[in-house]
Amino acid sequence: MATYIPLFLLFLVAAIIALAMFTLTSLLGPRNPTPEKMMPYECGSDSTGGRFVKPSVKFYLTAILFVVFDIEAVLIYPWTVQFRSLGWTGLATMSSFVAMLAVVLVYVWKKGALEWEK
Amino acid sequence: METRTFDNVASLAYFAPELGLIAAVLLLVVWDLASPARLKIAGLVVISLAALAWSGGMGAYFLAKDAGPHELFHGLLAFDRFSNLFRVIFAFVTGAIVLFSVPPRGPGVAPELRRDQGEFFTLILVLSLGMNLMAASRHLLLIYLSLELVSVMSFVLAGFKINDARSSEGALKYVIFGGVASGIMLYGMSWIFGITASMHLGECAARIAALTAQQGKVPEVVFVGTACMLAGFGYKISAAPFHMWTPDVYEGAPTPVTAFLSVGPKAAGFAVLVRFFSDALGAGSASPAVATPWPVLAGCLAMATMTIGNLSALGQENVKRMLAYSSIAHAGYMLLGFSVFSDAGVAAIAFYIVTYCFMNLGAFMVVMAVAEQSGGDETLSAFRGLGRRAPLVAAAMVVFLVSLTGLPPTAGFVGKFYLFSALLTAGGAWRWVLAIVGVVNSVISLFYYARVLRAMYLEKGERTEPVAVRPLLGATTCALAVPTLLLGVYWGPVYDFVASSLSMLR
Amino acid sequence: MPSLSALVFLGLAALTLGSAGFVAFSRNIIHSALALLGTFLGIAGLYVTLSADFLAATQVLVYVGGTLVLILFAVMLTSRIAEMKVSNPRGRPVVAFVLVTAVLLVLGRVATRTPWPAEARPAMPSTAKLGHAFLGEYLLPFELGSIVLLGAMIGAVVLARRAVRRAGEKE
Repeated sequence: MATYIPLFLLFLVAAIIALAMFTLTSLLGPRNPTPEKMMPYECGSDSTGGRFVKPSVKFYLTAILFVVFDIEAVLIYPWTVQFRSLGWTGLATMSSFVAMLAVVLVYVWKKGALEWEK
Repeated sequence: METRTFDNVASLAYFAPELGLIAAVLLLVVWDLASPARLKIAGLVVISLAALAWSGGMGAYFLAKDAGPHELFHGLLAFDRFSNLFRVIFAFVTGAIVLFSVPPRGPGVAPELRRDQGEFFTLILVLSLGMNLMAASRHLLLIYLSLELVSVMSFVLAGFKINDARSSEGALKYVIFGGVASGIMLYGMSWIFGITASMHLGECAARIAALTAQQGKVPEVVFVGTACMLAGFGYKISAAPFHMWTPDVYEGAPTPVTAFLSVGPKAAGFAVLVRFFSDALGAGSASPAVATPWPVLAGCLAMATMTIGNLSALGQENVKRMLAYSSIAHAGYMLLGFSVFSDAGVAAIAFYIVTYCFMNLGAFMVVMAVAEQSGGDETLSAFRGLGRRAPLVAAAMVVFLVSLTGLPPTAGFVGKFYLFSALLTAGGAWRWVLAIVGVVNSVISLFYYARVLRAMYLEKGERTEPVAVRPLLGATTCALAVPTLLLGVYWGPVYDFVASSLSMLR
Repeated sequence: MPSLSALVFLGLAALTLGSAGFVAFSRNIIHSALALLGTFLGIAGLYVTLSADFLAATQVLVYVGGTLVLILFAVMLTSRIAEMKVSNPRGRPVVAFVLVTAVLLVLGRVATRTPWPAEARPAMPSTAKLGHAFLGEYLLPFELGSIVLLGAMIGAVVLARRAVRRAGEKE
């Protein structure tokens, strides 16, 4: 616990700085709005279209796959830390774990879930 | 035989049924990707059935050899007659579902399962694996993991229909309810873990027994923890306050999946419920030194579950939805046996599960066979005049419905008889109240089951041409009707076998 | 003057509960989804105070980095969700309030009256110990994890690809 208190403090300080910047600019900054200033900024060109653009549903599958492989990476990590002391048995059991996921990866790949245009 | 605890490598021999299932799952994925289109379905079915035969066969072999009891994987899993009995039951149920899900040849009918068949069979097998583990878990971590394994697979299967809003809605409700229920269950587990400082059910039991003896009553913490955990278990068996998802999911899911969910995970839920109570809480021990609150709690759950299920089933027009409510009611009947916390009660539940497998699977199978031939119509109107249009299937449906009502000479009657006799043997005014409520509920259930009977035999539908039921479905239906009848007249050996298979690791 | 660790705990608990309250009571579902960030981070911090640093890192990686993004996607992909202001229709608030209060009182009473067994906090970092537990005593749940992931992945592909296909047909 004590090892992590500096980390907490760091986060706290970071949050305070960020919040302070926003509040101070809105409190102290001079304000003199013109219609041009109130327009949404879109790299200099006039903005077009609605406020809300629906993203493509294709992102969703990618996001799901990311989460699953993310969890796998997390589960494998503790083994890598102890790679030497876990020895060959560790390697063998972890291989079976990874093999299972390799089958899934092949499945996902062959089914075309990794392809963008379909 | 002395109980032994095995390490990971030594456990594998006793874990062979599940290893077979895992191998089959991987094989199914590969087959799905690599097989020629013509052989695809046949291969999927053969691989699934082979794995299930292996799993159930090994379970039966262990039972016959009277192997165990052992503790596997450092005490995480129990290997005892109880878990082996459930291995056999689950393999049978899953096998029936696999046959059930074989899609019809030729174009047209039942588009719901035409795509993604490889995935469908894979998920069914993973679910079966999860149920096996549920029945064998002796560790809170594993209880949770296997429960989630079953739940996640059920969510996907419930939403398996293509372009069907009801199916998607049912699956979504299932996910939300499931998430909340397992969250509450985890919270309850954290209380149990907090007070016992262990997640192993045996160690929990020792610590809880010590605390109970010390305080002269069951500690409040244990009560709170158990009540929360009941949310998770109750959700799986669709007991009263946690049953809300059942009708929508059962109606929306493809019929084979509905049949599966109403039998398989429910039986697994009962297995884990019974094991948790008798193992961790010592609720089944012969003479508890102090009065425990569990019988009253379970009794209230049972009464609420039965009554809500039966009353809601009364007005249903959709037969599938009606059977969904009826499956809630049946969970209530089984909870009656659970509320006794005696060996007789557990034996009655296990026997009831066996009979329930036959009759409920059969009833859903008839619904599917009928709906398939009437353009997906699952309402009562599709059943009108079925007695003349498809005499054999209608006769089988009569057997299933009579059995579900619990009338002789069917398996359902014998099952209910044992449940009530376990209840009344235990004695006491509370048990009598429960039994009376149970009987009244059985009478209520007669009304809605009889509506289907009336539609089949006394009413005339618009169509009179004979219904061409697929041979596979017809044969399986009859194969399920025979034991439903047979167990109603000659149940002795089966009951004895089940009752002798309940010794559990404690 | 409470100790530093008590202050840290109170701060994290306030962050977690405050964001959770915002998630539940915000009228705008996108704001609700964003407020989950605070809850997830607060929980991660609480894990650290409970000597589970690896779990905290996992929480940040999986929940903040993965699940939250997924939830935001789900919210944004739902058509016209920005106009949907009522995320929580409040029916019978009185009944709910009474029930929740009763449950909280019971839980609080039991929690404070129970003689919890005290255990020494294990030292951090916990990663190495977890590695040994994963590949030793808890090998079965670990390997089962891969099966859960296998099933989840297949299910996700089945369900999500259908949605993609359907969207493609509509376009």
